[in-house]
Amino acid sequence: MSAPCPCCEVEVAPVRRRGRGRSLARRTADSLARSITDVLENEEIAARPGLLQRIDPRIKLITLLLFAVTVSLVHSLWVLLALIALTCVFAALSRVGVAAFARKVWLSAGLLAFLIAVPSALAWFTPGEAAFTLGPLTFTEPGLLGVATLVARVAAAAGFALLVVWTMRWSDLLRALSALRMPDVVVATLGMAQKQILTLLRTVEQIHLARESRTLTLGTTKENRDWVTERMAFVLRKSMKTADDVYDAMLARGYTGSMPSLRRLRVGAADWAWLATSVTICAVTLAASRMAGA
Amino acid sequence: MTTPDFALRGVRHEYRTGGAALTGIQLEILPGEHVAVVGANGSGKSTLLKLLDGLVFPTAGEVVAFGKPLTEEALEDPAYRRDFRARVGFVFQDADVQLFCSDVRDELAFGPLQLGLTRDEVERLVADVAAHLRIDRLLDRPPYTLSGGEKKRVAIAAVIAMHPRVLLLDEPTNALDPRSQVWLLDVLDEWKHEGRTVVMATHDLSAAAEAADRIVVLSEEHAVVADGTPQEVLTQRDLLLSVNLIHEHTHRHASTAHRHAHAHGAGADPLAMHPHEHAHGARGGES
Repeated sequence: MSAPCPCCEVEVAPVRRRGRGRSLARRTADSLARSITDVLENEEIAARPGLLQRIDPRIKLITLLLFAVTVSLVHSLWVLLALIALTCVFAALSRVGVAAFARKVWLSAGLLAFLIAVPSALAWFTPGEAAFTLGPLTFTEPGLLGVATLVARVAAAAGFALLVVWTMRWSDLLRALSALRMPDVVVATLGMAQKQILTLLRTVEQIHLARESRTLTLGTTKENRDWVTERMAFVLRKSMKTADDVYDAMLARGYTGSMPSLRRLRVGAADWAWLATSVTICAVTLAASRMAGA
Repeated sequence: MTTPDFALRGVRHEYRTGGAALTGIQLEILPGEHVAVVGANGSGKSTLLKLLDGLVFPTAGEVVAFGKPLTEEALEDPAYRRDFRARVGFVFQDADVQLFCSDVRDELAFGPLQLGLTRDEVERLVADVAAHLRIDRLLDRPPYTLSGGEKKRVAIAAVIAMHPRVLLLDEPTNALDPRSQVWLLDVLDEWKHEGRTVVMATHDLSAAAEAADRIVVLSEEHAVVADGTPQEVLTQRDLLLSVNLIHEHTHRHASTAHRHAHAHGAGADPLAMHPHEHAHGARGGES
């Protein structure tokens, strides 16, 4: 049964529990439903009356860039951990669920960074005092410190990026990019790509649900693989036709190559205060990092 | 003599992959007319609308719009293109295709801003159109969060915001719930009184009977096979059967077999358009 999304009354298929013994079609449809729900939830979070939601999109983008540069210049693990804590404080003040925020950051960026970096902690790559051994593998203390620093850096950067995306409506993000002199064609492409991805996600979800409703067995791996390949080709063809149709629709309304917007962005006192605070935090962070390294 | 808004002379159009989409089309559409182009799926209705909007061009023959040939070369002239796009609005069948801006407000503003209106003018225009079509509460929503009926309203509003003299509607009642269909028919009636020309492609005969004062029938061979008033066209049962717009339907009333023509669409009875409730069941009676 479908349920309306709390923010926009759009019906999204419910996400079922994970588990074995479920068909490929059902598992894929559930995964797609989760993706659609994520996009719609982002809009709902961006509409909440929190700290970051009140900041002008352009200022928010600039401060993100500032924090990202700062994070990349910090070498102290403790300072990086403090920055991670700061992202959690910002999340809480912006009425973003801290648990969901931390899960997203650590399960995506954090885990990925750890998997990539962990081999560098081996004594073969980073010599030093052994921390522990796993069979023939010896992990060194300097190696583990390097891994921890890299993971913390990635998590801090991902946290700031996620906060910006979650606390800003997609339309405002595009407007901010446009205001910051991003070429019209890039902004228009980003805007349409996000919409088309969502539309195609719905299509693919329907395709999988339709298959699920007509399937009695789980099918062999080969059968599932063949079917998925064929459906991928179908969706690709459909996306190409949709792109043609969208372009026709733009031409029909007089498209001349620009994507003007009616929104006027205004920078207020609160935005300047946020910018000043961010600059101060970044300066203090860099100073603390330097002192820690000295 | 009145200059027609559109004149199609011996128009043939072929798909890029080969095969005719339209053939031998002779058609004139006069200012203020409400024309329904009806035909089965694949008969060429949507292609005809795209020809009228200068989105595709004839393989043979010519399309004349407002007294001037409508060609690819002509539309390359910015002044001509601006004038033509300002005069003709196209509401696509799939609203998802037409809603490409980041929110509804920008969607409504897109056309007027492309036409070079000032921001203040466009802001007023957007507010007026949104209030008129009762979509004010949707203005800050991204289009992908709207329901099907809301998307259709926004798609129509986005075109209306350009104040076109001619409106081309592709399957306008498709996927609309009954209330939205009534709303759309009211809007079409309003455009009639305002003197706007409307060409709508549909296979919904009840909507065609209700909203059009002229019906053009396309056959499955992609040619015009009838052109007249709703009364003249929709009473030709054999013609409608031959172009696959209605089909023979047999059912039983008690012990008596009953056979009659049956149309599919928003309403089943194209020429009996009056408010009524329709129920099928044990005591369903006449259908």
